[in-house]
Amino acid sequence: MTIGNRIDSSVSAPFYSIEFPSSIEAMRAPLDGAIAALTARGWVDKDHPFYARLCLEEAVVNAITHGNQCDERRVVRVEMIEENDFCTILVYDQGPGFVLEQVPFPNGAAQRGRGICLIRHCMDEVSYDTERNCLVMKIRRKTHNKGVRDHE
Amino acid sequence: MSEKPFISFEQHGSITLGRVERATVLDAQNVAEFGRCLMTLAEQSPGAQVLLDFSQVGYLSSAVLNELLGAHRALLATNGNLRLSSLNEDILKVFEITNLDKVFVIYDSWKDGLKKYQRSLELEAQDRSWEEIGKDS
Repeated sequence: MTIGNRIDSSVSAPFYSIEFPSSIEAMRAPLDGAIAALTARGWVDKDHPFYARLCLEEAVVNAITHGNQCDERRVVRVEMIEENDFCTILVYDQGPGFVLEQVPFPNGAAQRGRGICLIRHCMDEVSYDTERNCLVMKIRRKTHNKGVRDHE
Repeated sequence: MSEKPFISFEQHGSITLGRVERATVLDAQNVAEFGRCLMTLAEQSPGAQVLLDFSQVGYLSSAVLNELLGAHRALLATNGNLRLSSLNEDILKVFEITNLDKVFVIYDSWKDGLKKYQRSLELEAQDRSWEEIGKDS
């Protein structure tokens, strides 16, 4: 199974794109790079990257563990694209995909679903692209330029 | 030179205070070690009343929440407990978003937590005494 085709040429080229094997050890540098790219372009406050990092980590860990079953022969790809007032973050894996709407809201001590719950809360838009097998997270440009939802 | 423990534990009366010391970031990469530390305590000290101090922790991901829940369950099963303190604003928000603020007792600071936790244990002991008196009479 190949990783999803890159987004078509009618959309801007990614300003960040990286592929890495499906292991927790391999994910730190790509995440650091992604956060650096987001802060450099003003999508995330460099002094407060907490929620952006959280959403990226949750998405990547899900791709590694649930999507790719921690098989290091499979890869995860992260891409980030700017278009008008949105930054779109795509996290691809080589797994069977899932139905976002069927992920339950965590109820107290439930084992699953917290990662998606956090992403849904923090990102402006979240969806799953079943054709390309990627989680799609969107950040809307804020007028005060803070990026991912701040919790005032 | 030996490495600092991931969580260092010290006894304060009936309460075991655990300070997360070796990492300011708790994420998927070090969560296993964090979890092992907690579970080792839970196994070696059944019935322990544990207060975890997060004042050195600036970030944590949902993987950590599962470890906390596992340790919490293990301690509850032996009439112990796990309570938390000194969560920064962002980490507290993570607990609220995932409804875990309804599962864990969370104190503002470890000092405040020690006082209130100790007091709650004393009140529980008093309640048990009254129940025993009630049964006997």
